[in-house]
Amino acid sequence: MLSHDEVLDRIRDSLVELFELDPGAITPAARLYEDLEIDSIDVVDLMDEVQRHTGSKVTPEDFRSVRTVGHLIDVMQRLLRDADASA
Amino acid sequence: MAADSDCTVSALRKERRQDAYYWRFLVTALSFAAFGAGAAIVSLLLLPLVRVLPTSPACRRERARAVIRGALRLFIELMSRLRGLHYEFRGRERLGRPGQLIVANHPTLIDVVFLLAFVPGAGCVVKQGLSRNPLTRRALALAEYITNEPTPAMIEAAASALRDDQTLIIFPEGTRTRPDAPPVFHRGAANVALRSARVLTPVYIHCEPATLAKTEPWYRIPRRRPRFTLEVGRDWDLEPYRQAPLPRASRALNADLQAHFRAHVGLRVRPESAS
Repeated sequence: MLSHDEVLDRIRDSLVELFELDPGAITPAARLYEDLEIDSIDVVDLMDEVQRHTGSKVTPEDFRSVRTVGHLIDVMQRLLRDADASA
Repeated sequence: MAADSDCTVSALRKERRQDAYYWRFLVTALSFAAFGAGAAIVSLLLLPLVRVLPTSPACRRERARAVIRGALRLFIELMSRLRGLHYEFRGRERLGRPGQLIVANHPTLIDVVFLLAFVPGAGCVVKQGLSRNPLTRRALALAEYITNEPTPAMIEAAASALRDDQTLIIFPEGTRTRPDAPPVFHRGAANVALRSARVLTPVYIHCEPATLAKTEPWYRIPRRRPRFTLEVGRDWDLEPYRQAPLPRASRALNADLQAHFRAHVGLRVRPESAS
């Protein structure tokens, strides 16, 4: 099971790779849309990325309440936990 | 033509109403009525028939698209034979290939009518409002057209239609923009293209003088007979973009497409007086 910070590191790497963002801007409080300019179309790509990391199917439902990087960490941790539980 | 805008406006006012103006007005009114009547026949008579005839879902979809295409073709021919408009469609034999994404600019109300009337078996990303209109709602569902909400579901539906080797039509502007402004493209089309299109083909639509633009009511018809030119461009090579991660690649493709269309269609229309 990955810790909160380990998940944050992974997310940071992904966002830098996908969107060419400044790593320093990616904090749990950063808002995806307002601060990082990740819009609804990018979210589809982000879902693919989370799916790749967690190995479990990601649905738009999982992302419905995601507004910040912190929410993204929660979703990833939950999916990883579910994957562990079912393994 | 003088660049001074007052001068342009007064020249525009002075231009004579020509090309059988009042006849064209009548044809325009008739066309709107015919469109409504046609939509009623299609959605209340023909499509229910398609729905109940037993066949596979894919075949049902193709039949529904064929019915809609036939009806829209009839509509285009009605308007052009009655000399309400003139059109020319160059290179349309290159449209309708499997996995082909057709990307077009969107100057007028009837761009989608032209493309659906001439491209065999195509799906289309259409305005959300059509799924609420009772006359078009069922047609949309049966023909599996996709509504243009900027959601993951829309991207997924469009990408899977292409993966399924359908032809798909998208207007990246999303809605008609003002005829005097350059087109602004939304990134959904580029994203969908890079996800699963086998080939991307641009179609440049010109209409001169401007008509059926977003800012105009239907009865304000142009003083001259409008000429529609639809021109199929060269296939776009998607492979170079696919080297980068999708969010960056789709931004790059979208920027390139937008610049390309701006160069090709410019401001799309000149004032009526400009020729």
